[in-house]
Amino acid sequence: MEFSIAGLWLAIISFFLLYYVVSDGLGLGVGILCLFSGKEGDRKVMMESLGYTWHTSQTWLVVVGGLLFGAFPLFYSILFSALYIPAVLMLLGLVFRGVSIDFHEHSRSKRFWAMGFGAGSLVAALAQGLLLGGLLAGIDVRGGRFVGTVWDWANPFSFLVCLSVVTGYVTLGCNFLILKAEGDLQNRTFPKAIVFSALTLVLSAALFLWANLRYPHALEKWLSSPDLFYVAPATVLAGLGFVMLFRSLIRRREAAPLFWNAAAVALGFLALSISLYPQMIPHALSPVTISEAAASHRTLIFMLVVTGILIPVMVFYTTYTYRAFRGKVRA
Amino acid sequence: METLFDHVMLSRLQFAFTAMFHILWPVLTIGLSLFIVLMEVMWLRSRNEVYFRQARFWTRLFILNFAVGVVSGIPMEFQFGTNWSGFSETGGDIFGHLLGFEATMAFMLEAAFMGIMVWGWKRVSPPMHLFATSMVALGSSLSAFWIMTANAWMQTPAGGIFDKGRFVAASNFGPIFNSDMPWAVSHMWVACLEVTVFVVGGISAWYLFRGRKVNFFLKSFKAVVIAAILITPLQIYLGDGSGRMVAETQPTKLGAMESHWRTNPPGEGASWNLVAWPNRSKQDNDWAITIPNGLSLLITRSLTGQVKGLRDFPKEDQPPILLPFYSFRIMMGLGFLFFFLTLWTLWAWRKGRLKSAVVSGQKKLLFSWMAAVPLSYLAVETGWIAREVGRQPWIIYGVMRTSEAASPLPAYTVGSSLLIFAGIYTVLFILFLLFAWYIVYKGPEALE
Repeated sequence: MEFSIAGLWLAIISFFLLYYVVSDGLGLGVGILCLFSGKEGDRKVMMESLGYTWHTSQTWLVVVGGLLFGAFPLFYSILFSALYIPAVLMLLGLVFRGVSIDFHEHSRSKRFWAMGFGAGSLVAALAQGLLLGGLLAGIDVRGGRFVGTVWDWANPFSFLVCLSVVTGYVTLGCNFLILKAEGDLQNRTFPKAIVFSALTLVLSAALFLWANLRYPHALEKWLSSPDLFYVAPATVLAGLGFVMLFRSLIRRREAAPLFWNAAAVALGFLALSISLYPQMIPHALSPVTISEAAASHRTLIFMLVVTGILIPVMVFYTTYTYRAFRGKVRA
Repeated sequence: METLFDHVMLSRLQFAFTAMFHILWPVLTIGLSLFIVLMEVMWLRSRNEVYFRQARFWTRLFILNFAVGVVSGIPMEFQFGTNWSGFSETGGDIFGHLLGFEATMAFMLEAAFMGIMVWGWKRVSPPMHLFATSMVALGSSLSAFWIMTANAWMQTPAGGIFDKGRFVAASNFGPIFNSDMPWAVSHMWVACLEVTVFVVGGISAWYLFRGRKVNFFLKSFKAVVIAAILITPLQIYLGDGSGRMVAETQPTKLGAMESHWRTNPPGEGASWNLVAWPNRSKQDNDWAITIPNGLSLLITRSLTGQVKGLRDFPKEDQPPILLPFYSFRIMMGLGFLFFFLTLWTLWAWRKGRLKSAVVSGQKKLLFSWMAAVPLSYLAVETGWIAREVGRQPWIIYGVMRTSEAASPLPAYTVGSSLLIFAGIYTVLFILFLLFAWYIVYKGPEALE
């Protein structure tokens, strides 16, 4: 894996994407839990636990979108036009979720808007799962143009990815609630978190296996040095992340489950990315590589200088705002 | 009629609809955040609680407006990928990184400090709160800067070069400092301030009209009247500058905005069409009420200056004319109307008619301010229609045609998403009005 500016950009964007997936994924997960919660008090804690920060979390999606558009214009144009239906569904889900949180504050029909928040979260989570699934299942690109149909994403492989993503989000949501809630709600969340963590582990292991069988170049990495020394440790560490997650849940720790969950997600993502490298849009016959999808050298460098200055500033002030709202939420 | 309902037209309609919906919210976010900053500064300086209550009251409206703006903004960014893949592929090297700067530099700043601004009153000190509010205001204005820079680049594309079918950056700052950028950014930013002046003024006028909370709302009313003295004439000046930039860089758009067909021969002036009925197939106006030499005077500041007409360009390079022509007239007319409303208000103020004991009697004046609320939004929308429809048939003026830019999607797919967006946004709009009405009707809270 030789160094390139495009590769560096992919790493930066992946980092932000992961940050989004964890910080907003837990929000979407809490939303889905909200949909299946019977108690007004629980729903209130759930919505308030997100109240202050969901908006910042969601903004990372806009950051990822903007950077992806600038650094990988070809990828951006192919991904979202080929996966038009999941993409539009995600946007609609996010619109609905956002206004539901907003209107929930002002309206007297709290139940209705809490349900709207849940439904929007579920639609957005499903759609994000299908976006990732559609990408991982492979997009048919010939000569820089998408040549498939708008329904190509509807296949068993991408449905499995979608299911893993949604289950993963619910797991993150449970672990976040353990951190933010207390008493009865927290107690009831522990067993849920264990069940969903187990489900996530099974589904993502199946997904990882299937992806390796689907793409010969991924499987070959297990058989050749030095690729093996990248892909094997990442996979093992991801597994270890899950072990630590279960350990912390069984020991009823408050903050550790969310931490290990995030670590497992990040390492799993890393393992999968290494497997598929250097294809950015994987496809058995006509993959698009990272360098093909990238913007011009000048743009990549210019963006690197500007974002290089901005990233420390962004990290500083987002940390500050998270700190301002730390602590438990009470019903 | 296949061109009416093909995927290009449907994608255009979807983008137009979602953009026209989206722009309603950020204009107020940008202006109102600055207004709230001003109130917090006044409060910290004078410790007069009325400013604190002002900040709290307008913040409630602000957050409601902000949320709809954010959620309707996300589809804007992603639609470049979903519906305009040709554009994203060809122009993304430049346009994409400008949007990337907007997200990292501006949007994130605004979003991160938003929580503190709205819910942080008890969690941080008042000066820190003022800092957070200022960062929200800075973030939203920076956001406007980058979005307008990117849009201006589509009007006057600079700093790009074709390389293997992609229009890529040939310089770092060339695309940013394109010729339309200073006018586009300033005209839009001042439009945000102007809308805010009339929203704050209109809501205050409603209270004054009914004689409720007169002292509180007289304060906000007078504050925006003072702002209007600067803003309304400044916007006319900036509009004039923008128009002359269009004449210089986008002659087909100017031709459409003015329904101007024939380049005036040397020594003769181009007349200005007050109203007209353009006829594309005749390449002329069916009828027009004109002011001789008016257009030459407006554009070149001389009675006989040359203004290029649409006939100088092939038909396939001409934009639609009716929509830019009348949108432009509505926007311009409203700009002058707002200026006259400001003058009228100043005159009433001078005559002592804005004193708290008598202001409720100024029914006509106050009613005009209430009417200015929707009209100020109308001015923004019609300005955008003239700007974007006038750029057609280009998506990047002179570089790429809109028809080449659309994703090759089946028409039924785009049609369905357009209908769903239309349905959801309509419901959203109605709900927003209901909740906004609830906030406004309830009025400022007494101090805890």
